[in-house]
Amino acid sequence: MRKLVVRRLALGVLTLWLISLVVFAAVLALPGDAATAILGREATPDRVAALRDQLNLDDSVVSQYLQWLGGVLTGSFGTSAATQEPVRDLLSARVGNSAFLVLVASLVAIPLSIGLGVWMAMKRDKPVDHVGSTTTLVLAALPEFVIGIGLVFIFATGVFNWFPAVSLLPPGEKAWQDPQVVVLPAATLVLAVTPYISRIMRGSMVEVLESEYVTMARLKGLSERTVIWRHAVPNAIVPAIQVAALQLAWMAGGVVVVESVFSYPGIGAALVDAVDNRDMPVVQTVTMLAAGVYVLLNLLADLATILVTPKLRTAAR
Amino acid sequence: MTIDSRLEWLDPVTRRQVLRGAMAGGAALAAGGFLGACGGGDEGGGGDGGGSPATGTANQKLRTGGTLRVGATGGGASDTIDAHRPTVDTDIMRCWNLYESLAVRTPDFSELQMLLAESIEPGRTPQTWTVRLKPDLTFHNGKPVTADDVIFSLRRIVDPDDPKVGAASINYIDEQRLRKMDDRTVRITLQFPNAGFPDDLGQYFNAIVPTDYDPENPVGTGPFQYQSFTAGQESTFTKFAGYWENGKPYVDELVILDFPETTARVNALLGGQVDAIDNLPAAQIDAVRANPNLAVLISETGAWQPFTMRVDQAPFDDVRVRQAFRLIVDRQQMVDQVLSGQGTIANDLYARYDPVYASDLPQRQQDLEQARSLLRQAGRENLSVELVTAPVFQGIVEAAQVFAEQAKGAGVNVRVRRVDSGTFYGDNYLRWTFAQDFWASRVYLSQVAQGDLPDSPFNETHWREPRFIDLIQQARAEVDDAKRKDILHEAQTMQYEQGGYIIQYFSNIIDAHSARLGGFVEAKSGFPFGNYWFKNIGFLANT
Repeated sequence: MRKLVVRRLALGVLTLWLISLVVFAAVLALPGDAATAILGREATPDRVAALRDQLNLDDSVVSQYLQWLGGVLTGSFGTSAATQEPVRDLLSARVGNSAFLVLVASLVAIPLSIGLGVWMAMKRDKPVDHVGSTTTLVLAALPEFVIGIGLVFIFATGVFNWFPAVSLLPPGEKAWQDPQVVVLPAATLVLAVTPYISRIMRGSMVEVLESEYVTMARLKGLSERTVIWRHAVPNAIVPAIQVAALQLAWMAGGVVVVESVFSYPGIGAALVDAVDNRDMPVVQTVTMLAAGVYVLLNLLADLATILVTPKLRTAAR
Repeated sequence: MTIDSRLEWLDPVTRRQVLRGAMAGGAALAAGGFLGACGGGDEGGGGDGGGSPATGTANQKLRTGGTLRVGATGGGASDTIDAHRPTVDTDIMRCWNLYESLAVRTPDFSELQMLLAESIEPGRTPQTWTVRLKPDLTFHNGKPVTADDVIFSLRRIVDPDDPKVGAASINYIDEQRLRKMDDRTVRITLQFPNAGFPDDLGQYFNAIVPTDYDPENPVGTGPFQYQSFTAGQESTFTKFAGYWENGKPYVDELVILDFPETTARVNALLGGQVDAIDNLPAAQIDAVRANPNLAVLISETGAWQPFTMRVDQAPFDDVRVRQAFRLIVDRQQMVDQVLSGQGTIANDLYARYDPVYASDLPQRQQDLEQARSLLRQAGRENLSVELVTAPVFQGIVEAAQVFAEQAKGAGVNVRVRRVDSGTFYGDNYLRWTFAQDFWASRVYLSQVAQGDLPDSPFNETHWREPRFIDLIQQARAEVDDAKRKDILHEAQTMQYEQGGYIIQYFSNIIDAHSARLGGFVEAKSGFPFGNYWFKNIGFLANT
């Protein structure tokens, strides 16, 4: 088990480094640099030259990358090419906000979708199941920004005026200090990921409920609650764990779109802005964070799968 | 040719009248907004909101106090609050309110209004100019505004080692010969005579800052003083009690919020999180008008978003190809499809609000037969060209797509290559063979200096006709309005017949705001909210 974790972590670090190379190459392939991007329409040759000088862009890109990589190893993440501020200062508040959003969304989405899946499986082919299946299918088909705009219309601007339409936070204030601003973005993410997890949960639950050991348990006279929660769910949950991890990992990146709908001050807006500004250190750091979450969640999902599957659990020992 | 005729266009009395006229026009326009709102309400059986708009707008009484929250387009980590480096809309909005230049075009664009200057007068020839400051002006920190600050600011703008935005417009100031005559007077000598100098100087980005200016703690003379600034998020300002214009500003506090996403900006207004937003998408006009608590402000402007053909590169080095491309455009269709009708067709000429504008030249219409025939004469049948476009301004990418569609009618294959703004302004900027751009309203000579002379910073069409240059030089030195107009008519005729711009329309600017606010004026200048002048905006007295 420990060997497995160490090996997977090492592979994860390798993956991250390869990703950083790809991102570096991609930023390199984009025409223009931070100076021309920041000046935009005003990018006359003399002004570009002056700004390049101020931003130290005359260093070669390779040395910029090496500086950034060296910074990562010492935990500093370098200096933004566009603002000359440390990337850490630029991103720390935003990372916190995004993490809080994803955390709230997953704390709601995972229990909700597992419960929903179990419920639909138990009411299989009953109206509840049909309504649930159709609704989740429709939600799964909708892009998350459509869901977000729909929620804004219903709960903020059009029908009710319960929540803020956009998540404005005074500078320096964190999302958890004003939880109102998280409600609609988190609800959007919940609606975006719940269909996948609940449908998988329903599918595997249906399968388990038809299996012989469940029939056996029922014949032995165990209460339905015990049958479901002690015997059926632990066996049905493995595929749901994998899908939930994938969905959470998706959220780490998909949060970009949702944040932009709500003007939520997270890493999404920072990433879009950094790409526009050709700000390599910031782009690198944000993609590394998202990729790191992805790698870590996959690892956790595999570990969880091993822990809930007796066969794998003993084999890994 | 007398001194008097020369100074006529600087006369402060007419200027004030014009300004008052602009205010009245704005009030009438706001009334239109209210009526539209009520119409929408009546259909739903309501019509209760908005109070009594007819009396409210005829004599919009504004109260003092309150906080004005404005949602601005764009913004990001590279936002700045430096007086001389505004680049994106949010920067520009802050600059208009925190700082002031010596003079500026009024929102209705008819006159150059003196702000910090009492007068800007030419010497015996338009090569030397005397700027006299208004008396008793102070900066936000209480320091008086003096000739030294003017000289410092001009030097800071044109600094050859670090040229600012304004350098492109006034880089012909002779830096060595800036003279302080007394505490309120500066003599400026130019490298060549230019009767259009006050307009080049009178731009918002040529603001006056104190000699100890520090962008980290910015001090200016504008109606609002600095409170806080967080790039990409929000900036706050408080009323400057010592502002020179009596009774202004009305509101106590101004908050500018950045909105990179249009949807979020509109939603913030609909949800009441901001009081006003700029650049409302035309498709949302009806939705906003249907809300009795909101109003829409539509301004016709002189802003233009041309297609740029490089006159020195194939296939556009042949004037017949340029003429053919101009004949390809169905201008009204462009206005309807790209701007949802929110614009006016144009005639391949800019500076529509300048009195010298050659409005007598016949309006160019789509003529695909003629276009085909010109291309045939040029030996360019079945022409295929690449049009580089980027979402750098509302409607630009859409205009490229509509143009490609219209070009098919003349047998021209236009491949639209859409790139991101970083690429567009990257290494090939100002060198694309066929691309697009956007410009605000300018007077004719200032616009020529920006884009149509060999030494212009933005000569994207690479236009350098010797006869044209000659005409511009004559016009700059000419102080007689009528004669200058004749010279510039010939220059415009040249551009109309041979130029590299396709100017298909002038676009409107659409802003939206809470119906509780008043004081908005229409802005031909191309800047939202009547030159972003929040000093004129206040909450209505009955709210």
